[in-house]
Parts: sequence; C-alpha cells; structure tokens
Amino acid sequence: MFTYVLRRLVQSFFVLLIVMLVTFTLPYFQPGGIVAPAFSVLGVHASPSAVHIWAVQNGMEHPFIVRFWNYVVQVFGHFNLGHSYKQNLSVWGIISLYVPRTIWLAASSLFLTIIIAIPLGIFQASRRNSTADYAATGTAFVLYGMPLFLLCMLSLQAFAFKWPHLPASPPDGVSPWAMFTDPVGFILPVACLTLAGVAALSRYMRGTVLEVLVQDYVRTAKAKGCSSRRVLMRHAFRNAMGPIVTILGLYLPGLIGGALIVESVFNYSGLGIQTVNAATNIDIPTVLGITLMVSILTLMGNLLADVMLGVVNPRIRIEGSSR
Amino acid sequence: MTLLPEPAVAVMTVNEVGLDAPYNKNEVIVPMWKQRLKIFTHNKLAVASVAYLVLITVACFLVPRFHPTNQTNQALALSAPWNASPSWAHWLGTDGSGFDELGRILYGGEYSLTLGILAGLITIFVGTLYGMVAGFFGGVVDGVMMRILDAFLSIPYLFLLITLITIYSRSTTFLIIIIGITGWWGNARIIRGDALLIRQLEYAQAATAMGASKWHIIRRHVFPNSISNIVTTGTFAVADAILALSALGFLGLGIQTPQTDWGTMLQNGTATIANGYWWQIYPLAMVFILVIVAINYIGDAMRDAFEVRLLER
Repeated sequence: MFTYVLRRLVQSFFVLLIVMLVTFTLPYFQPGGIVAPAFSVLGVHASPSAVHIWAVQNGMEHPFIVRFWNYVVQVFGHFNLGHSYKQNLSVWGIISLYVPRTIWLAASSLFLTIIIAIPLGIFQASRRNSTADYAATGTAFVLYGMPLFLLCMLSLQAFAFKWPHLPASPPDGVSPWAMFTDPVGFILPVACLTLAGVAALSRYMRGTVLEVLVQDYVRTAKAKGCSSRRVLMRHAFRNAMGPIVTILGLYLPGLIGGALIVESVFNYSGLGIQTVNAATNIDIPTVLGITLMVSILTLMGNLLADVMLGVVNPRIRIEGSSR
Repeated sequence: MTLLPEPAVAVMTVNEVGLDAPYNKNEVIVPMWKQRLKIFTHNKLAVASVAYLVLITVACFLVPRFHPTNQTNQALALSAPWNASPSWAHWLGTDGSGFDELGRILYGGEYSLTLGILAGLITIFVGTLYGMVAGFFGGVVDGVMMRILDAFLSIPYLFLLITLITIYSRSTTFLIIIIGITGWWGNARIIRGDALLIRQLEYAQAATAMGASKWHIIRRHVFPNSISNIVTTGTFAVADAILALSALGFLGLGIQTPQTDWGTMLQNGTATIANGYWWQIYPLAMVFILVIVAINYIGDAMRDAFEVRLLER
C-alpha cells in the first residue's frame, strides 16, 4: 500500500511538471512574444526601452530553460507562484482568498452529485427500460444538452425573482469563514452545479452498474438465492465502485470549469472569475498560478480517491505493490 | 416506446448470434454496412434524431440566404422594431438589436454546427492517432504519453480555452482549432484502451508473426477494430464542441458580432430575462437542447450498430 501511494505521488509530481511546462510555454507563442503584457501594463504607446526595462525587471531576458528552472524552483522551493503584473500583488496573495471559496462550492456540489448520481444509476440499472428509467434518462439528456449558464439563469429567474424564495447570490465577504454566514445563498448555485453533474454522470453510472450486473458472479449470487437488494448492494455496487471513481476523477476538471460558469452567473468571486479577469488583462502569472493550483487540486483529488479505493478493494492494492 | 437502445451486453448469447453454426456456401452474406444500417434504423429515436439534425442543418445553411430579413447588417436591423414580440412579419419576434429572431437562430446555427463538426473532426483525428500510438507501442512510449495526457486532463479545459482565446486570437478559425485541440483527451484515453487490448489479441499477434509491419497492424487490425469507439466518441465530441462554444459565448468569447452563434444568442437573451422577452430564449433553447440530445442519441445508436455481437453474420 505504501509503495502504491509513493508511486502515485511521484507520478503526480511529474504530471504536475508537464502541466507547468505546457502552461509556461504557451505565452511564448502569443503575438508579440512574452513581452506582450508589457503593453497592457505600461500602456499601448510604451517606448521600446521602457518595454526592455520591464522585461528585465520581470526576469524575461533569460533563455527559456533558465526561466522555467527558476519558475519550478520558486514554486516547489519557496511556494512562490510569481507576481501579478496587473494587480501588483503576489499571485498567491490573490488566489489564496478564492481557493477555499471555489473548493467549498465545488466540493459541496461534488458530494451531492455523488450521493444522487450513484443511487440513481443503481436504481436505473436495476429497473432497466421501465418508465422511471426512461424518465430519468430523458431528464438527464435534457439537462446535459442545456448549457450550464442557461440552467443557472432560468433557475435564478424562477426561484429568486419570479417566486422569490431564495437569495440570488451567495454571501460575498472575503474573509475565509464569511461563506458560512448565509448558507441559504448557496442553495441555487450548488443545486445548478449538482444538476449539471448528475446529468453528465448518470448515464455512465447506469452503464457501469449494468455491465457489472451481467457478470458471472452476479448470476452465481442470484442462483445461490441471494436477494436482489443484497446482489445490488454487496456485489454490483462494490464492483462498480472502481470504474465510478475513475469517471469521477475525469469529471473533476469539468466540475471546476462548471464552477467558473456558476461563479459568473451568481456573482460569487472564486477562482473562475479571477481566471476570466486575469486572462482578459493578459495577466500571465496569475493565469499560470490558478491553472497550476487547479491542477494540483485535481491531481490530489484523484490520488485521494484512488488511495481510498485501494483501501476498499484488495485487487488494486495487490496490483500496486506487485509492480 | 424505446427511449434508449438495449445495451448490447445483455441482448444476445453466443448461440443466438450463430457463432457455432456451420458455414453454409449458399447462404447470402449481407454486407456488414447493411447490417449496421439495419441495427441503426431499428432504433426509431435515432432515426428521428437524424431527421431532425438534417432538417436543422439544411435550414441553417439555406434559409438565411432566402430569409426576407437581413441577418448581419446592423444598419438595416436598426430600422426594424427592437424586442418586438412574435408577429406575421417576424415569426419569432426580434432581438435587442432589431434582428429577426428566426433568421438569426438559423444564421447562428450555421456557425455553431460548422464549428461543432469541424472541431469534432479535429478531435477524432488527433485523439485516435494519439491513443493508437500510445496503446499500440505500449511500454515507455505509452507511459510518457499517458503522463502527458494526465497533465492535460488535470487542467480544466474551459480555463485553457479562455486563456488561449484571450491571449492569441478571437477569429472563428482559431476557435475551431482550439476547441478541437482541447477536446481530444478523453477520446485518446478510450482509443488507447482499445489499442492496448487489440494488439495482444491472437490475430494481431499472428500478423506480427507473419512479418507485418507495426504500421500495417495499426492500419489493418487496430484501427478497424476500434472503429466503434472512434465513431461513438467522435459523435459525442461534436456535441461537446457545440456546448463548449456556448459556454464561451456566455463569457463573450464566442463568435464576434455581427456574426453570431447559439451560445452568444442565448447569453443575449438571458441578459434581459427579467423583461419577459421569452421569444429570445425559449425557441432557441429548445432547438439547441434538441440538437445536443439528438447527437447523443445518434452516438448511442451508432455504438449499437458497430457492436459486433449484434451483427447477424
């Protein structure tokens, strides 16, 4: 088990390095090269010497390899994500306020998605081709086909303005605990993000459970007189857990992307809004920092899920240690 | 009523398919594509989806050319009534700039559908190539390529799209390329799984033993046998590309005015949602959702049509 976790940690570290390499290289290809942001900081009529001084101040005169090495050392050695050109603040200072807010939004929605989508998948698979199955699939398809922002806007219009029962926006204080002062405000955003998640995942859940239900060990269990509830819970569910965790891991970046839309609609400042702002201002260090942060969160989520799965499922444990 | 096709796994046993039936010389062998077409058309909902998509596509590409109103000229649109409710002159009313809503929906569809299909094609091509090379060669090549893929998969593609579009360019061509380029990661994983499986099957090993080159095996064995997943994931990729474009439209990064796409139009419609201009939202929303649902149904039916276990032999 320990070697498995260690191997996954080393792998994640290299994956992170690749993420950094990709995101760090991209600005080199923008029109005007890496000094292009100088014109958004100093103004469009900045003189060549001013641009040069700005480039030197930001360490841009070094070759690519040196810059990338410095970046990696700063990030992993000093936890320094860089300095925002536009806001004149350290990137970590900007995003540290918003990381917990986005995590809170995404995590609560993910939790609800899991506890809705998995039982729904089991239910649909066990009552395959019944009216309830068709109704659930049809609803999921419509929700999947609807752009998330449309779902948010329509529910906002319905529940916050037409029948005003719910607040239109979550609490927006910047202190870390301000988000818990008015939990009612989170109902609409979290519900929208959850609905989109359930719609995206439920068909995979149904398919996964269906595939397990036709396995030989399920037939054997039935033949031995196992009740269908027990077959579903003890055999189907536990064996479907592996593929489900994989699907959830692949869904994490989509969830953060969805959080971006939800944040914009409900005016909840988090990493998403910060990304949009930073990208519009060509504030490269902030964009790089946020992307890296989200990648770390995703990789950690995947790692955590796999380790927990390894604790539950002996097959993975043995596979991991034998390699 | 069948909303979803029966999953292939539970439908037929080996005997029903006739795997162990003796070979009969006089038997007329139905070409494979005809059998596949039969399975596909058996799913009535998929046929309806194809009909709907054909209708919408033809309408989007033809009607704007004959439509009595102008779809792009803002000077002409300004002389029309703004936010007018549906009437005989404007069947679906007009939008906030005076454009005829029906004509604009069809005109925007031209961009959304073109972009979806082209980006989907890029996704299929890159994803298939990457997945096959990784899965077929295996070992170190696979390890490195999969770690690179893991890195891509850990970046939310919406963040990447926003960054790339704001940094580089907002032209339609760039949108197509960038949505295609950021869409293939999931596909590559699936195709790679197929290739890993197929290369160790007996016929692939037999081909190796007979001296076939690696490229030959990829082309003649791995590719045809993973065509089911290629086509299915490719179909879903088209729907995902259209959805991605709509998300960009919401952020104001979609097709730029005076051209438009469905996402941008929905965003404009929902921006004035409190004014009660329902005709700017619901007709388009219905068309849009049905397009995505139809593409997904077609993908599901294609998966069944390519499922070898359902063929009659």
